Amino acid sequence: MSFWNPFKQKQHTDKTTNGDINTKTSDIHLRLSDNLDEIRKKLGNSSDIVIRQFECGSSRIPAAAVYADGLIDKEMVDDFVMHSMEFEVSSHTEKKITNSNDLLLSILSGDTIILIDGWAAAICGNTRGGQVRQVTEPNTQVTIRGPKESFTESIGTNVALIRRKIKNTNLWVDTMQLGEVTQTDISIMYIKGIANDKIVQEIKKRLKDIHTDSILESGYIEQFIEDSNFSLFPTVYNTERPDIVAGNLLEGRIAILVDGTPFVLIAPVSFFMYFQSVEDYYQRFIVSSMIRLLRYIALLISLFGPSVYIASITFHQEMIPTQLLISLAAQREGVPFPALIEALIMEFTFEILREAGVRMPRAIGQAVSIVGALVLGQAAVQAGIVSPAMVIVVSITGISSFTTPAFSMALSVRAIRFLIMFSAAIMGFYGIAIISIILIAHMCGLRSFGIPYLTPLAPFTLEDQKDTLIRFPMKFLFSRPRLISQKNTKRMTRDD
Amino acid sequence: MKVKWTVRSIHLLAVLILLTGCWNSRELQELAIVSAVGIDLVPDSDEYRVTFQVINPATISTIMGGASGNVTPVTIYTGTDHTIFGALRRASQKVPRQLFFAHSQLLVIGESLAKSGISEMLDVFDRSHELRLNTTVLVTRGTDAQSVLSFLDPLEKVSATGLVEMTRITSEVWAENVEVQVFDLIESITGIGESIISGVRVIGDPEEGGKNKNLEQTKLMPYLSISGIALFKDGKLKKWMNGPEARGINWVRDKMDGTIINIDCMDKKEAIAVEIILSKTKVSIELRHGLPIFHVHIKEEGNLTEINCSLDLSSREEIEKLDKEVSKVTRDEVTKAIKAAQKQKSDIFDFGGNLKRTNPKAWKEVEKEWDSLFADGKVDVQVEAHIRRTGMRLKPHLK
Repeated sequence: MSFWNPFKQKQHTDKTTNGDINTKTSDIHLRLSDNLDEIRKKLGNSSDIVIRQFECGSSRIPAAAVYADGLIDKEMVDDFVMHSMEFEVSSHTEKKITNSNDLLLSILSGDTIILIDGWAAAICGNTRGGQVRQVTEPNTQVTIRGPKESFTESIGTNVALIRRKIKNTNLWVDTMQLGEVTQTDISIMYIKGIANDKIVQEIKKRLKDIHTDSILESGYIEQFIEDSNFSLFPTVYNTERPDIVAGNLLEGRIAILVDGTPFVLIAPVSFFMYFQSVEDYYQRFIVSSMIRLLRYIALLISLFGPSVYIASITFHQEMIPTQLLISLAAQREGVPFPALIEALIMEFTFEILREAGVRMPRAIGQAVSIVGALVLGQAAVQAGIVSPAMVIVVSITGISSFTTPAFSMALSVRAIRFLIMFSAAIMGFYGIAIISIILIAHMCGLRSFGIPYLTPLAPFTLEDQKDTLIRFPMKFLFSRPRLISQKNTKRMTRDD
Repeated sequence: MKVKWTVRSIHLLAVLILLTGCWNSRELQELAIVSAVGIDLVPDSDEYRVTFQVINPATISTIMGGASGNVTPVTIYTGTDHTIFGALRRASQKVPRQLFFAHSQLLVIGESLAKSGISEMLDVFDRSHELRLNTTVLVTRGTDAQSVLSFLDPLEKVSATGLVEMTRITSEVWAENVEVQVFDLIESITGIGESIISGVRVIGDPEEGGKNKNLEQTKLMPYLSISGIALFKDGKLKKWMNGPEARGINWVRDKMDGTIINIDCMDKKEAIAVEIILSKTKVSIELRHGLPIFHVHIKEEGNLTEINCSLDLSSREEIEKLDKEVSKVTRDEVTKAIKAAQKQKSDIFDFGGNLKRTNPKAWKEVEKEWDSLFADGKVDVQVEAHIRRTGMRLKPHLK
């Protein structure tokens, strides 16, 4: 019941049974066969758990190696088992486990466990491996210039990708496991001395407060730790590009890496971050400033395009130049619907096509986009259901929304657009003004981990304007965003 | 409790917004876009007959499925009532859509109405939010507003737009007409000066002008022509001014944007064309022994555009001679214009307003009898003309 009631205090005390992994059982048995029996019992005799029994040393003590097939590197396991047989395991790469709980978790993480008869402990060797996806080109936030690598599903690879970019002792990684069933590895990365300690503490606190059975994607965490679940605006950034993460770490933000997904979370964020592409920093400043401005204009079009059209042709016809009005009137002759309905038909068609394009098997994507273009462009107009002008408005709106580099913000803008459309259809420009005021007021009130969402415009920071709507040349970017990294804001030493 | 309150206030807000019911929302296909309004006096009565030229968008747009057959691009509807706004609303009995005036570009006043006075009629333009003030105004000459509005034009499908453009362009390049808008008119009626409005005349049989058949020939017959300037006195049309007289008005009012002056070349009459490209007029009014003297000082520049006689343009003296010729022609036209206005006791140049601004004390003394003083005032015109360029050729090929 409490699921439907967001206003009620969250209750985490009534934890459901999350399997045997959590139960704090007794230590490891002395007898090997007891241990093996218990492992078999606890893991339900799963077929991927391999138990290799052997005798080690000259005294031929029975021992067993346990590992999960597929999660391990076969060569490493062989090596490890061989060494174990001769008691040559060193304490550098292996650790001793005395807790049966840890033992099981290690097996499930891809480690190999050596159990020896007559010893109430186990040796755990890091043999993690198995199949992981290669580092490939990013599918989202594509750039023309810039690194062509993206994160993978393996958290180890992801951490390494960032480390490779920032070779600094102050780049710290905190690790924890979340999800009571999934036990997903989470890493919090930040640069000590640049990141605000309070925010680091806050993020850790919020992460520790997560009590759920599973973390399958960073989106789970995002929704648990974000400031406002009911805002249309995202307050945590996500990306699959290591260079974006590195750049943000250097500005004092904190990255949250989740095992099993290439999408890394970044917090705290400001609204304007969603409209900045990494390529803005790779290209020269004049062009990248222009392109950044273009992106803001495209944002305005994708937010207000259809609503301005609806408002001006149903309320403010006197504002339209005469020739254009005549042309619009001619197009609307014979269109049976009011402008709002017409716009909704087209917008829904477009949204359906877009959604279909994402979900469809790749192979038939081409066919659907051709049909979609025909439906949107030709047939609907010829059938007299919509006017050509509306097709233009909807398509430019749709295309504009693709210029937002961050997909999570583009999704929000899509939703907000419909809000504005309805209010424009009810009250014209007056309605657009009202809804804009409400939106801006909401954004002014929004916080991302204590940082105002509209920083650096509200509250205004003059220095940060160099890298907000436009980007100044690299030489002039002396400081990091002031509100993000409050302690250490100097980015470079000035020569003077 | 908190939830209930939130839900309740959301409901209230939604109701608040939705109950407005899209107030004042009008779909485009419910509107009849009026391109021009014509106002006539119904003969032998004091009723107004208001004519609307309504655009038929489908015939004008170039999109496919547009122009269907022989439908005219504009249609006229009329309404008759004692008030103009009454006539506007009464026309709803005949028009299938709501008349929409925000885009009306032209107001045509019938000659008979102009003669009986236009001051009363203009109130509605100032008062109603549906009509606009930057509408160009024309007065019909020898016909009524309805027949002017019923004309079709082959180039500008909306003939009202055509008339507005015609007025604007001819005022700029030929200057025998003036582009007057409703607010200029209201200003001149409420102010000291008198109004002037360009005339529009029908050449040929007005009945044929509204037929598509008229557009199926290269030589339009009948056609519309902007013609002359109507001179008003106390809101009533008194006199039509034509040609040089009318051009003089533009000079005095400092509205000269460009025109062609033909001057004599030795013994050949009007053999040289000078295009005036720049003209600046300064007017000062002096009261001497109770009588006003109007000092009009014009500084103008022109280019030689055509020479139909042999003339040595390389000599400075020749050019200076031409300068003098140009200023003489200008002076004549200006004097003619002022004299004609004086004859009608109609201060169309707003000399009175000028005096009031520059010498308010003196104005108070002469305010009452300004009409007669204006008519008796002396005119002092000084013209400074310069020919700047002689075109792309130095010597004429005539020997």
